[in-house]
Amino acid sequence: MKMKKWGVLAVSAAMVAALGLFGCSGGDAKPAEDKKAEEPKTEAPAEMTLLKEGTLTILSSPDYPPFENLENGEIVGYEVDLFNAIADEMGLKLEIQPLQFDGIIPAIQAGGQGDVGVSGFSVDPERAQQIDFTETFYIDDQAVAVMNSNTDITSENAAQALNQEGVIIAVQSGTTGEAYVQENFPNATVQPYGNGTDCFAAMQSGQATAVCTNLAVVKRMLADAYPDAHMVLEIATGEEYAAVVSKDNPELTKALDAAIKKLQENGTIDQLQDKWF
Amino acid sequence: MNKTPCFTPASSSPIARALGRLAPIVLAAMMLLALAPASALALDTAKCTARPNGSTGSEVYGGTETRVTWEGQADADEAITGLSIVFPQGTTFNDDTTGKARITLLTADQSQRLGFLDADYALDGETFTATLDEPAQAGGYLRVEIYGVFFPVSGGEMVLSGSYTLEDGATLPVDDIQPIAVTGVSTTGQITSWLSDQEWVQAWNSNRFLRMFLNPVIIVDSFPVVFQGFLMAVAIVAVAFPLAIPLGLCLSLMRMAKLRVLRGLASLYVNVVRGTPLFLQIYIAFFGLPLAGLSIDKFPLGVIVLAMNSAAYLCEIFRAGIQSIPAGQTEAARSLGMNGAQTMIFVIIPQTVRRVIPTMTSEFILLYKDTSMLAAVGVMEVVMYAKTIVASTGSITPYIVAACFYLVITLPLAKVVGRLEARLAGGGRRRKHRGAGAGATRPLEGTDSAGVTAYVTDALTSQPVIKNDAPDAGR
Repeated sequence: MKMKKWGVLAVSAAMVAALGLFGCSGGDAKPAEDKKAEEPKTEAPAEMTLLKEGTLTILSSPDYPPFENLENGEIVGYEVDLFNAIADEMGLKLEIQPLQFDGIIPAIQAGGQGDVGVSGFSVDPERAQQIDFTETFYIDDQAVAVMNSNTDITSENAAQALNQEGVIIAVQSGTTGEAYVQENFPNATVQPYGNGTDCFAAMQSGQATAVCTNLAVVKRMLADAYPDAHMVLEIATGEEYAAVVSKDNPELTKALDAAIKKLQENGTIDQLQDKWF
Repeated sequence: MNKTPCFTPASSSPIARALGRLAPIVLAAMMLLALAPASALALDTAKCTARPNGSTGSEVYGGTETRVTWEGQADADEAITGLSIVFPQGTTFNDDTTGKARITLLTADQSQRLGFLDADYALDGETFTATLDEPAQAGGYLRVEIYGVFFPVSGGEMVLSGSYTLEDGATLPVDDIQPIAVTGVSTTGQITSWLSDQEWVQAWNSNRFLRMFLNPVIIVDSFPVVFQGFLMAVAIVAVAFPLAIPLGLCLSLMRMAKLRVLRGLASLYVNVVRGTPLFLQIYIAFFGLPLAGLSIDKFPLGVIVLAMNSAAYLCEIFRAGIQSIPAGQTEAARSLGMNGAQTMIFVIIPQTVRRVIPTMTSEFILLYKDTSMLAAVGVMEVVMYAKTIVASTGSITPYIVAACFYLVITLPLAKVVGRLEARLAGGGRRRKHRGAGAGATRPLEGTDSAGVTAYVTDALTSQPVIKNDAPDAGR
C-alpha cells in the first residue's frame, strides 16, 4: 500500500513536471524565435513570423460549405480560394491543416500548428480578447431552415413560430447562430452540435425542429444534400468574417490586411464571391 | 431617473432634451412640435434585445459585457438623421460602444441588407447618440447595434427609452421599447469580475500557457456550467451500467450455450459492437434510428447505446470469469443433483462475481469516460458544455475543468479497483483463513457464496479451497 501511494505521487509529480516543461517551452520558445528574427536587422521593421519559411499555414475546419469543405479528398471553398490569392499576393505557398472548429483559436494562440485560422470566424469582441482579427472579407447573414414536412413553421409566421416552447433549434456550438437563437428565440430550446452538417442530420432525423446557421451554409446544404428541407427565415445580421491571427504576430496581421485590401480593390474578392455564393 | 434637470434652463441642449422624454410636459411639447411638420409620425420599435452573455442559455446578466440591438421601422415619410437611446441609470460602457457601434439599413422583413450607414457615435452618461452622416432612406428599417454595454450589477427590468431626429430637425420619442430582462450578476459573475481585476490574475494570465490552460477567470466561469454536464454524465452512467450488467450476463450465457444459433447470435453481436468505434454506433443510433421510424428521446437513447456497447464488453468479462471456474465445480454441483440452472445460479455465478469485480469496475470507468462521446450528438454532458465555452472563448481552460470532473469519479474508483485486486491476489479473506491453518479445508461458513463453494468442494471433489479463491494458485 505504501509503495503504491509513492508510485501515485511519483507519477503525478512527473505529470505536473511534464506540464510545466511543456508550459515553459510553449511560453519561452516563441519569444526566442522572435528575438532571432529581430536581432540581425534591428533597423528593419519587425518581421512577421511564419511556421514554415515561405509557407502560409492556415488552420481550417473543412465542414462548412461553401467556405471550406472536402470535395474528392481536397479542401475547397471560398476561403480556400481567397487565401490562395492572399498567399500569392504575399509571395508565399499555401498549406491547409484541417482542425476541429473549436480547436482553431486555441491552436493559433498556442502556436506551432498554423499561422492563420480561417474557418468562417465572425468578428466578436469576446474572441478578440484571445486573438487578433484581420480585415473582414465577407459579410454573412443568418438563416433558419425546416423540413418540408413541417407545415407549422412557414415563411409568414417563422419569427413567432420559432420562439415557442417545444421548438428545438439545432445550431453549431459556439457560433453566432447559437447566440442569435438564444437572443431572439428565448422560448425555444437551443440544441448545439459539433458542426453544421450534424445540425442538418439532426433535423432530418427528427432530433431538432429547425436549423439556424449562416445563410450561405444553409443555402448550400439545402441545394446539395437536403432537398426535403427549405428556408423559412432569413435575417440580415451582417456578420463580418475575418481570419484569426495570434496576438504575438501583429506583423502577419498587417501583411494579411494589406493583401486583403489589395484583393478588394482589384476585384478579386468580388469575383470569388460571385463564384461561390 | 431624476426629472428635475429636464426643467432647468441648463438642459436645453438637444441631448438633454432627448432625456426629457421622462418629463411629460416636455414630451407633450415635443409631440406638438412634431405634429406640426408631419402627421402621425412614429418610429416603431420592432425589437430591442441584448445578447445573452452567460456561458450558456438565454440569460442576460448585469455587470457583464453585452451587445444591445435595437430595430425599428420608420414611417414612410420619415428620413432619420439621428437616434439616441437612453440606458437605465448605472449602465456602463467600454470603448467598443463608440468604436464598434453599427447601424444597418434593412428591408422591412430584415431579410436583405440595404447597407451600413456611416454615423458618429457619442456617449453622454447613459445616453448613446448616433448622428448619421446622411439622412437614412425615408421609411427605412433600421438596426442599431451597441457593443460594450454593461447593465447594472443588480439586474432587473431594464427600461430603455429613446428619441430620434428627422431631417427637418424635429426630435421625436421612440415608441414602445420593450424592457430587457436582466438577471442580477450571478455569484460566479461577481467572482470572475473581481478576479479579472486582480493583479495576480493579470500576472498569471500574462503567461501564455497559464492563460490558455488554467485561466482562473474561465475556471470560475465554466465550473458551474460544466458541473451541469457532470450531473448529466453521472445520471447517464448510473442508468446505463446497471442495464448493461444483466444484458452482458445474458450475452455471456448465450455465448456458452449448447444451441449453436444462440452462440452465433451472441458472438456476432459482441464482435460487431467491439469491432466498431463507439462514436459510429452513437451516430448510427442518433441519426439512423429516427429515420427508421424509431423516435426516442436523447437521454434514453444515449443510455441505451452506452448500455448496449458496454454489455458486449461485460459479456466477455463474464464469460472469462465463468470459464475460469474449474470444471470440477460444475461436476460437483451436478453430482449433488443440481440442474444446470441451479449450478449456474448457486455455484458458478457467486464465485464469478468476486473474480470479475475488478474488471467490471474498470469497465465502469471506461463507460463513464465514454459518455463524452455523446457530445457529438448534442447530449449536454461534460464535454459538450466545455466545448461550447471553448468555441466561444477560444481558451482551453474549460477542457481542464472537464478533465477534473472525470477524475473526481475515476481516481477514487481506480483506487477501489487496486484494493480489490490486491485482496483477490492474496489479501483479505484468504489471509484470515491462513491464520487458522493454511491449506486446511474450510469449515461450512453459513450461507454466503464462499461457504457453499467450500461445502461443495470439500464434500465432493476434495479439491483444496485455495484453488477456488485464487485463480493463479496451483497453476
